[in-house]
Amino acid sequence: MKKELEHKFVTELENNQNIVHKVCRLYTNDRDSHNDLFQEITIQLWKAYPKFRGDSKLSTWMYRVALNTAITLYRKSKKRVKTQDYESVNFKIKADDYDDTQERQLKLMYDAVKQLGDIDKALIFLYLEDKDYSEIAETLGITEVNARVKMNRVKKKLRTIINP
Amino acid sequence: MMDELELLKKDWQKKEQELPKLSYEDIYKMIWKKSSSFVKWIFYISIAEFVFWFALNRIPQSSDDVFDQSKYLNQIDLGLEIVSYAIMIFFIIKFYINFKKINATDSSKKLMENILKVHKTVKTYVWFSIGLFIVALLLFFVDMVIIEPELSDLATKAEGANQPWLIYLMSALVFLALIGVTCGILWLFYRLLYGILLKRLKQNYKELKKLEV
Repeated sequence: MKKELEHKFVTELENNQNIVHKVCRLYTNDRDSHNDLFQEITIQLWKAYPKFRGDSKLSTWMYRVALNTAITLYRKSKKRVKTQDYESVNFKIKADDYDDTQERQLKLMYDAVKQLGDIDKALIFLYLEDKDYSEIAETLGITEVNARVKMNRVKKKLRTIINP
Repeated sequence: MMDELELLKKDWQKKEQELPKLSYEDIYKMIWKKSSSFVKWIFYISIAEFVFWFALNRIPQSSDDVFDQSKYLNQIDLGLEIVSYAIMIFFIIKFYINFKKINATDSSKKLMENILKVHKTVKTYVWFSIGLFIVALLLFFVDMVIIEPELSDLATKAEGANQPWLIYLMSALVFLALIGVTCGILWLFYRLLYGILLKRLKQNYKELKKLEV
């Protein structure tokens, strides 16, 4: 029984690991922290898995646990902040990729997103993942109206950064 | 021109192919590792606090020879003991219930609220314990000086002096100052300990709360 559950969980996480990697990519700055956070999210998911009833989609449930872990449960270790190295590897950013305006804008925006606070980051993340406002509101525990207002503010903040 | 944020979204989704890929075995190994969640730290620290304060509140009462000689104080002492047990049991149950409510599948706001609630329970227990500790010390002081004067050097000195009340007053002041300093140090210690642990959580909670106004 337990073995079955383990197998089911690991298979499902293996198939959906992108969700967790994306949260890690947004909330950490180097490869070691990325792996640390991935590890902690996996443990939290596994701990919560026996109670997962399937009344929401598995992915919705994973977004929530992953974000909660990144924002609230995980203690950032202060060691190693090699932002530069990591970003160039992880976002495959090469200097010559950025010779036209659009690409430069993208680079600016990724940098700007990285500088946002934890909650703002979560909002932008859910926007980038194409989640609707009802899911965003439910994930964070705020009303839909507030999610909309807040999202507009964060978007405006980002736009000002790239178009000063 | 296409909206910059739409552009970012498209690029973000395109970059999905560049994400790391972990194997089944990698993930399987991960589920057996120990969590380093800071909620665990709060749990351990809270248990240490329960034990520490409970032990400390037993110390004044354990100097039994002083209390044994005074029936009146003995009864108060017994009362205090019952009260401190009752308070301890009440807080442990409350702490346990709140701790069990911490659930990573709740919404972010609810999760933060539940963690802060656990912290609040412990904080209230600590203040109760400090109160109880002070009451016990006061009783001890009163006993030494007034009810059992032969036990106290101070009382002998006070009786020989011209103004015995002055000596009583001064020793009371010294005693109060000591309590004050002790509480101050404790308060600072807690601010520091939980301040470090809960700083980020409180910031994020405030950010979410701000949205509701």
